[in-house]
Amino acid sequence: MMKKYLTTMFMIVFIGLIYFTISSFARVLTFEWEEPAPLNNMAEEKRLVLITQDMDTPFWGSVASGARAQAEREGATIEVLGNYGQNDDDFLQNLELAIHAKVDGVIIQGLDTEAFKELTKIKAAFYSIPVITIAQDVPMEESLRRTYVGSNQYEAGRLLAEQMIQDLNDQAEIVLFYDKTLPFFQRERIRGIESVLSAYEDIHVIMAETPNQTDGIIETTQHVLNQYPSLEAVISVDASLTGGVVQEISRRRQVDSVGIYTFDEHQEIAPLLEAGKINALVKQAPEEMGRLSVQLIFEWLNGETVPLDFNGYHTSIEIVIGEKNALD
Amino acid sequence: MRSIKQKVLTLAVVVVLILLIIWTSLAFSSRQTQKQYNVILERYLVLNEVNTASQQVITELNNFLTNTEDEQIPRLNQSLRTLTSLEDQILTLGHQENQYQLNNYLHLMDSLVESVERAISLQHQQDFDQARIEFTDATRIQNYISDTTLFLLDQELRTYDSFYRSIIEQSRELNQFGIWLLLLLIFTMIVVTYLFQRSITHPIHQLTEAANALSRGELDQEVKVDANDELAFLAKTFNRMRLNINQLITEIQQTAQLEKELQENKLLLQESQFRSLQSQINPHFLFNTLNTVSKKAYLEGAMETSDLLVNIADLLRYNLKKLDRSVTLRDELRLLRQYIDIQKARFTDRLIYEELVDETLLDTPIPALTLQPIIENAVIHAVEPYARGGTVALRIFQEGNNVRVEIKDDGPGMSDEKQTALLEGEIVPKEGHSTGIGFTNVIKRLRLFLKKENVVYIDSKEMVGTKISLLLPLNKGGDSDD
Repeated sequence: MMKKYLTTMFMIVFIGLIYFTISSFARVLTFEWEEPAPLNNMAEEKRLVLITQDMDTPFWGSVASGARAQAEREGATIEVLGNYGQNDDDFLQNLELAIHAKVDGVIIQGLDTEAFKELTKIKAAFYSIPVITIAQDVPMEESLRRTYVGSNQYEAGRLLAEQMIQDLNDQAEIVLFYDKTLPFFQRERIRGIESVLSAYEDIHVIMAETPNQTDGIIETTQHVLNQYPSLEAVISVDASLTGGVVQEISRRRQVDSVGIYTFDEHQEIAPLLEAGKINALVKQAPEEMGRLSVQLIFEWLNGETVPLDFNGYHTSIEIVIGEKNALD
Repeated sequence: MRSIKQKVLTLAVVVVLILLIIWTSLAFSSRQTQKQYNVILERYLVLNEVNTASQQVITELNNFLTNTEDEQIPRLNQSLRTLTSLEDQILTLGHQENQYQLNNYLHLMDSLVESVERAISLQHQQDFDQARIEFTDATRIQNYISDTTLFLLDQELRTYDSFYRSIIEQSRELNQFGIWLLLLLIFTMIVVTYLFQRSITHPIHQLTEAANALSRGELDQEVKVDANDELAFLAKTFNRMRLNINQLITEIQQTAQLEKELQENKLLLQESQFRSLQSQINPHFLFNTLNTVSKKAYLEGAMETSDLLVNIADLLRYNLKKLDRSVTLRDELRLLRQYIDIQKARFTDRLIYEELVDETLLDTPIPALTLQPIIENAVIHAVEPYARGGTVALRIFQEGNNVRVEIKDDGPGMSDEKQTALLEGEIVPKEGHSTGIGFTNVIKRLRLFLKKENVVYIDSKEMVGTKISLLLPLNKGGDSDD
């Protein structure tokens, strides 16, 4: 009886051990290596690069997604390069790297500096790489870009100015904030705004030039507020300045009493608009820009449209009126 | 039959085989893992190599531009070739995750090579400023290569993250498997070893039991062992030994029995001799006296008396001399006749003696004084008590291979119980026999002499008579003598 009991126990232990051993062995055997997918016809695919200065902003995110979608349709690979906080050195390095890496096409946010123009004019041309500026243009004569895809900045300025005129009284002081470096796209916007305002002599325009750093913006804003306490509206030609300007104004005065007008390409804009601190802004079509730029570069590469329109291909723009304005 | 040696060998071989299999598979799997690691490591090394090679190119170019010595050219070309030759290896590193960067990387390498070549040709054309500018360009490209190398390495880490984790996971699984396997093997070994030692010790135990039983003297129990190896052989041998001992003991017992019988025989003989010795002085004196009396009777003319006395003397002499010797039937018959003559002188007509003898059988050996006591018995029981007398008949004839001697009387006979008691020797002979030898003594001596039990037969009916038969073996040698 005892012996039988012992034998049964031994058998149970034995079977248990065998089960665990085999199942463990099976796990070892069936182990799958998750190796990355192999390369597919790497040499044949066109390589494009989209270089921006502000990564991960809603505006540039839309541009990138539009470009990616189009690139996928065209069967190309597109790499989106970018840096944070408008670091010019990194941005130019990305461009230089792309040129040296002999990509098939560069879609780039225009930067109106000598270094940028040097790169596009000499380096890119040397390697015969097509460069398309996007969203922000650099004059063709200076950069030898193939074309520009984006909003018509002159028109955008005009639209914004017209909206502002509607909101304002006939007589008013307004301040126009712009970046100290005054890049091409801002010049175009200002030109557009001024072309509208020139018809209204009672509207006094104050030009406020500011460096693109928080301290500088605050200082300039304080200075303007001190000098022109009765100002009624602010136009920020550079969207990246808007946040600082609005912040400083709201510290000093009721923001409601000052009309804020700006553009949409900076990440701080959307929250400001939602918070009801912006009267109106020009909404551009970033996704369309991305899509169209890729499409155009392919048209050029495939020889379908040669040359591309030097004046650029303009995407749609529209005025978005903020809640703040609607309340009035 | 499997020997213990074979069993041990089989066990050892099985253990060694299992260990070998485990070792081989573990070595194989670790080799696989090693391979994986090597492949991964090589990826890093190749990237690093490109970086180093590109730096080397820049260093050589710098040397060339500053020294402008022609011996720098081959070294520069050599480093350029090294860089170019790495391109093929770089291509093998590609997968979908790093496709774009890798492509850039290759083109950067191309750009560097082109730039360096341009710098060389510019230097040759003595356009030193342009060469310097080109060199700066090359340096920048090299920086990009370094950056991209770092980026690619970083990306490798990210891409292969899950891969590395799965390798770690697998080695953990393998460890677990090893532990289970070890447990299983230890358990199996314990069980197998236990069974194995039992298969050896259990038969030994059984043998020990059997040996103990043997030493206690239990020889009838068969030695049984549950084995088929040397121990089974041992058990068989043991069993045979047991049987032999059994047989030997039986033989010893038989010998002892025989010895006991011999002793008895000697005692009987001594008894007879003692009895005869008792009457020894008397017989010699009597014998001489009888002879003297016989001569005197003869001289006085009493012939019959003289003969009678001679017969008595002969009987006396026979009795004295031949008790422990074998004689022939003829001697016995002569003595018998002398005895009858003496008895006839006593009983005259009352004793009727009849004799039917086959003369050819008289050489049959027989112990001395065998017939006389029986005849005397017949005379005592059948003649003496009756006034009218009795008949005593003697027959000697051949019956098959035997000589049958029959002595018959017409006396009162005996009951069956008395017959059996007589044959068993339970009746003590009474005094009064002339020779001092009783029937029981005769039977025993006959049995010892012939080495046979069934020698004497008694056939008796009360009021009718008694017939005593002796069955003697036929003496063929004696036959041929006649």
